[in-house]
Amino acid sequence: MDVFLQQLINGLVLGGIYALIAVGYTMVYGIIQLINFAHGEVFMLGAYFAFTLVAIFHLPFWVAVPISMLLCAGFGLLMDFVAYRPIRNAPRLSALITAIGVSIALQNIARIIWGAKPQPFPEETLPSFLQQVTPLEDPNIYFSFLGINFTEVAIKFPGNVSLSYLDLSIILLAVILMFGLNRIVSLTKIGKAMRACAQNRVASNLMGIKTNQVIAITFAIGSALGAIAGVMVGVREYIEPTMGYYKGVAAFAAAVLGGIGNITGAMVGGLLMGLAEVFGAGYIDPIIEFVAKNIGLGEFYEAGKISNSYGSGYRVAISYIVMIIVILIRPTGLFGKSTGHRA
Amino acid sequence: MSLKLTLNHIYKFGKEQFLLLAKHITLPRVIIFLIVLFFPPILFGIDSIIKFFSDRNIFIPLPSGEYILYISVQVCVYILLAIGLNIVCGFTGLLDLGYVAFYLVGGYTAGLLMTRFGFSYFVVLPLAVMNGGLWGLIRGAPTLRLTGDYFAIVTFGFAELLFRVVKNEIWLIQDINGFVKDIPAVKIPFTKIELYQNWHHYYHILALIGIVIFITYRLKNSRIGRAWIAIREDEQAASCMGINVIRYKSLAFAVSAAIGGLGGAFLAPFWGILSAKTFEFWESILILCMVILGGKGSIRGAIIGAVFLGSLSEILRELLLRIPQFSSARILFFGLILILLMRFRPDGLIFKKSG
Repeated sequence: MDVFLQQLINGLVLGGIYALIAVGYTMVYGIIQLINFAHGEVFMLGAYFAFTLVAIFHLPFWVAVPISMLLCAGFGLLMDFVAYRPIRNAPRLSALITAIGVSIALQNIARIIWGAKPQPFPEETLPSFLQQVTPLEDPNIYFSFLGINFTEVAIKFPGNVSLSYLDLSIILLAVILMFGLNRIVSLTKIGKAMRACAQNRVASNLMGIKTNQVIAITFAIGSALGAIAGVMVGVREYIEPTMGYYKGVAAFAAAVLGGIGNITGAMVGGLLMGLAEVFGAGYIDPIIEFVAKNIGLGEFYEAGKISNSYGSGYRVAISYIVMIIVILIRPTGLFGKSTGHRA
Repeated sequence: MSLKLTLNHIYKFGKEQFLLLAKHITLPRVIIFLIVLFFPPILFGIDSIIKFFSDRNIFIPLPSGEYILYISVQVCVYILLAIGLNIVCGFTGLLDLGYVAFYLVGGYTAGLLMTRFGFSYFVVLPLAVMNGGLWGLIRGAPTLRLTGDYFAIVTFGFAELLFRVVKNEIWLIQDINGFVKDIPAVKIPFTKIELYQNWHHYYHILALIGIVIFITYRLKNSRIGRAWIAIREDEQAASCMGINVIRYKSLAFAVSAAIGGLGGAFLAPFWGILSAKTFEFWESILILCMVILGGKGSIRGAIIGAVFLGSLSEILRELLLRIPQFSSARILFFGLILILLMRFRPDGLIFKKSG
């Protein structure tokens, strides 16, 4: 049960991150029906930008993250302007191929600039409550906030389950950002324009909405959210050029699961995807071991003929499986409206 | 008398056919054909000229003929794959982002059967082709009603899944990371001839390519090819005109996948080793890039695209090896090529969409 609860927490954190990325996919798809493959790369660049600002320019973490978000928003605008706008009226598959090209190009540019090795986010530059170890000066105080001294590294729940402040802040931040996005889309003028564009781009153009501007803003918002998700993953795990590819595909699967084009769907889908990945990866191996030992293949298992690391090996594959199954069985996803011919 | 008449008839028919054929025989084509046919001897000739000079202390900075031949065989494998992918991408107009899956299936079918069970290559080859086609159908059956980007995403996911399976299923591959080592060379039955030299491989793959080109040309210009192109132009209209869309699409998937399997089956004894790394996602993109560069739906275009990008890939690999930071930059080039092509020549650089 303890393991289950701990995994639940991990799944929620990962789900929050996926939701933040998935929103970027789904918003762009909603408006221009483009699977923006390169969105995962923007997410990766967000992590690398923050990393560079902190490690090389020695900016404080709190300054580096917004700058990284701004840079990524600018990058999203640039990507739209350079790659996607010229082919906006071309067949849709051309746009998809362009997106793949952008994705591959960015991933390898990152590999050239920052190297292929996974790098951890420099721990000492983080604010103390995000660090994974207790600061050395005063072992009794982990960090102080508004005059309150926190002594524990994480919030402890009964039964050896703990929630680190890092994870807590990721969940909180994701919820706040999602809420903010929801308000922007449903209340503001630009949000209204976005919804109009998603319904019918030509008609909204005729109504005097500057569709190109709306699309650009969509790219910028999606990229900024992707950037902050990138920083979260960078701080929690590590940064590498392929992280945009793997996490991006998982987030895309989340967007498909929630119904692509639907922002609420992307949030719920992200959460479900995070849970599915964590639980899938955590429980495949014990189940296989149990099954193997109970059908008389125990020796076979002990001899290592059956891999005991399916969990880590197939971790990435869970998102592919979810994606394929959803597309084949219910292409509109959990929340998507059926729009007839959607291809 | 009747024999004489018959002979006369045959003679006339033959002359007609020859004259028809002769129209297509032009000097550049003959030259290209001869160069392709006598490529290894030409290379060895150049090699001996270089050796002649280097014996007299004049060094010509050219790579050795053996090396160029090796790269040519690699490029030929890409030609095979590009022709195969062209059937789904070019003829039926569906974007396949996971073609490498069938290459993988063919490669591992051949590699595992040859190392584990000692099957002869000539038994394995049809098996690999059939297995490739079978997987094409397995993937094709549920995706029949998908079009556009959803089809692309499913193919992508399918290829990645197979990649993971090969990487993780130790009981099947019996090594980590999908390594199959010591795949024996091709032995011709009842003789002691082994095909292990680069020029052997060259003529071997040339024969395979010849067969595949013949089959695809015949398919393209037949009722089946017309049906595929009709499906590409408008699926619903084609269906209304009485074309059995499901049947022809399945056939396209199967044929395309079978050619991928053939490429894989050749690769296994050619390299003598298989690794999962060969079948990564971007390899599919590279093949797609070749098809698009040459113009979707054109067999000639696919061949030229494969020759151009395949050799570019190998040259870049060689050049960029010297700068360790840039070892992956050649993949970057393909990304840029895709973006530029879609921007300026979405129907292909070399040939306009035909058909």
